[in-house]
Amino acid sequence: MRSRSNYLIQVLAAGFIVLVFLSLSLFWASWTCKSILADIMPLDYRTVDITPSGLVPADFESDPNMLRRSGAHAHIIHPEAPQSLGFMNYFLGRSPAGRHSDVYLLKYDNEAWHWIYFDSSTGRIVCRYEIKERMPDATIKRKMVQIYVGPEGISETPGEDTGRFTSPIVDISDIGWGRLTLYDKKLRQFFAVKFRKELEFIRGPQLPEDTPYRPVDIGLLSKNPSVLDLYWMPPDIKISKNNQDRTLYRSGKTHTPIRERDSDYRADKYMLVLDESGQIYLLDRETLEFAGPAGRLPAPETFFPADKRVTPDDLLAYRVLPMILKEDHKYRGLFAAVVSREGTALALAVFDEKGVCIESEVTRDNKQGVSSSSAVFFGTPWAPVITIGKFLLENLHPPILSLASYFTANSFEAGSGHRAMLLLPNSFIAMKGRDARENIATRFLSALLLILPSIVLAILLAIRVGKDAAIVGLSRKTRRLWLLGTIAFSLVGYITYKLTRPKITLVTCANCGKPRRPDTGICHCCGSKWDVPELTPPAWRVTNG
Amino acid sequence: MLTLIRREIRDHIVYFIAAVIFSAILVAFITATRYNLDWFGSAVFGAFSVPLLVILVLGFSAMGVTQMYLDRNRKISAFLSVLPVTRSRILTARIIAGLLAILIVLVPVTITATVLERIFAPPIPASSGYTAEILTTVFLMAFACYCLGLLNGWTANKIAPTIGALGLNFVLVSLVFVKGFGQDIKFLLVLVIVACLIRTWQKFMSTSL
Repeated sequence: MRSRSNYLIQVLAAGFIVLVFLSLSLFWASWTCKSILADIMPLDYRTVDITPSGLVPADFESDPNMLRRSGAHAHIIHPEAPQSLGFMNYFLGRSPAGRHSDVYLLKYDNEAWHWIYFDSSTGRIVCRYEIKERMPDATIKRKMVQIYVGPEGISETPGEDTGRFTSPIVDISDIGWGRLTLYDKKLRQFFAVKFRKELEFIRGPQLPEDTPYRPVDIGLLSKNPSVLDLYWMPPDIKISKNNQDRTLYRSGKTHTPIRERDSDYRADKYMLVLDESGQIYLLDRETLEFAGPAGRLPAPETFFPADKRVTPDDLLAYRVLPMILKEDHKYRGLFAAVVSREGTALALAVFDEKGVCIESEVTRDNKQGVSSSSAVFFGTPWAPVITIGKFLLENLHPPILSLASYFTANSFEAGSGHRAMLLLPNSFIAMKGRDARENIATRFLSALLLILPSIVLAILLAIRVGKDAAIVGLSRKTRRLWLLGTIAFSLVGYITYKLTRPKITLVTCANCGKPRRPDTGICHCCGSKWDVPELTPPAWRVTNG
Repeated sequence: MLTLIRREIRDHIVYFIAAVIFSAILVAFITATRYNLDWFGSAVFGAFSVPLLVILVLGFSAMGVTQMYLDRNRKISAFLSVLPVTRSRILTARIIAGLLAILIVLVPVTITATVLERIFAPPIPASSGYTAEILTTVFLMAFACYCLGLLNGWTANKIAPTIGALGLNFVLVSLVFVKGFGQDIKFLLVLVIVACLIRTWQKFMSTSL
């Protein structure tokens, strides 16, 4: 019994080692294929332009002196950039102001540290910043101030009880202007702190549990900025040099952009809030109350058409750019660009000030009229070869894990899918799992077709293992387990069997003449014992003549 | 047990000396980097430390291979078995010696990194997790590669353990690039270590000496 359990432990240990090493090797091979596909992806497949933008008033767009209309431009930089791998992702995410960092600001300026961070042990946000005091003799004195912000208010001493934040989502885009806005997921409340000139604490109303709002990102909405670029181009109108407006017109030029650029963007009345459903809302910056819908993340066209309502977790990258005209500081609408989970498709949408989509565009191969997510696999020279290579590599993966990838296709955050080794959310079978067109049975059968090479390979290997196990003399139960294991894990099962196969020199059975194990009491072929009864000579004889 | 550990150290003294030298190089590297690079250049620091990490883990893997290969081919365990020593004690002493070599490299590095962090890092608790996370992962990676070396070294063939261990180590080290230094890589590495030790134990216990 003990040796049997030892054998099981050995097999599991060897199987795990083989699984890790094979998965890791396949990961790099597949990553190379995806990187090459991303490299050879033409610019058309990764760029979207919307002109005119639709958010600039018609009197400007139809100006007779118009040199260039306004527009929005989005493009995929590189979906398989090293930043998407765990090593870079770890450092970028945890560095100050990173996506997974609790440190929102950290700088050494004027021989003093300035910081804003969330102290998880006390549940408060700690801000240390510099203020300038004008002294009676007109000199300016610099002074460092540290404040502790909790849901109950602000204190200047660490001991004072101001409550605890548990999981704050912080907008760091206004820190430079001395404002910090945050949302606490557990308290379901927005808070804002103004700390530059005078301390001011604003607490928004608590969101009732039955409301649909579940904010996941606030302020400048952006995910994986190294993957996606989005900017808007202001209209360019020819002007006369004696124009009185001094702010944006540069001397010596006959034309100039008349609207402020997104880099100068400064929201006044509203800020954006992204909900976990993908909906974008406007939040009043002063009252911290929702002021209505602003739009939603658009759905890119994927290889197998997926659900049209995407969530932030379904997307490899997104960027949202609100538009406010300089003249009236009135919110005009927003541009939202997203990159699909696999990094092969891009969608850009324009929403007006009421949150109605007025324009949307996706990446397409204009010559063939197919979406970029299909064209990237088959549309460019050599792409089909690399795609087939990627497909075959996926089919070397254990079929059971491929099926698990199919059933868990939507469960993983898109970015982590690019670092997945065992379950593959970006494999073809997982893409099929997200297919929204067919019913469950048809979709599952199509998915099985996608891993057919893998299943065939697993069956062939299982037959080989079964035959060898019979020769070696493994028991019927053990053979059956090996067969099932090899069908489930394919190459991993086969290599594990080869590594853990009993290394025994077989001897010839005296009864049946076939090879038998010397370490068992009976022959595994004929079932006879070692002491074969002596053959009784027949009574008859063959004689000559 | 102590005698066995001492014997392991004496037999593989080259690796222990190399560990001390490498530790000194790492301490000097970290100190120089901290004094010359901006604190925020952690990505740059990470990029520089990658080749050092590769050399480190390959060294420990080589140590594991050498320990097992020499034992098998010089019949060390066969000789020790005539003394009142069990095979499990021999292997335990070997693994402890390997762990000691890893700690010789990593303990001074950890102390240096902690001291430098206290000196240079801003005094906020939110930035203190880096050193512990990275060094834990490096320790687990080094130990996993050492265990792989032990597993590959138990053979009479000279080329197979060298090529096999080298290839497998490169594959395993690449896990850091895939997963970073988070919790999932630590979990995976612990499982790899346990699996390798089980296989080594089984091989060492069941093979005739």
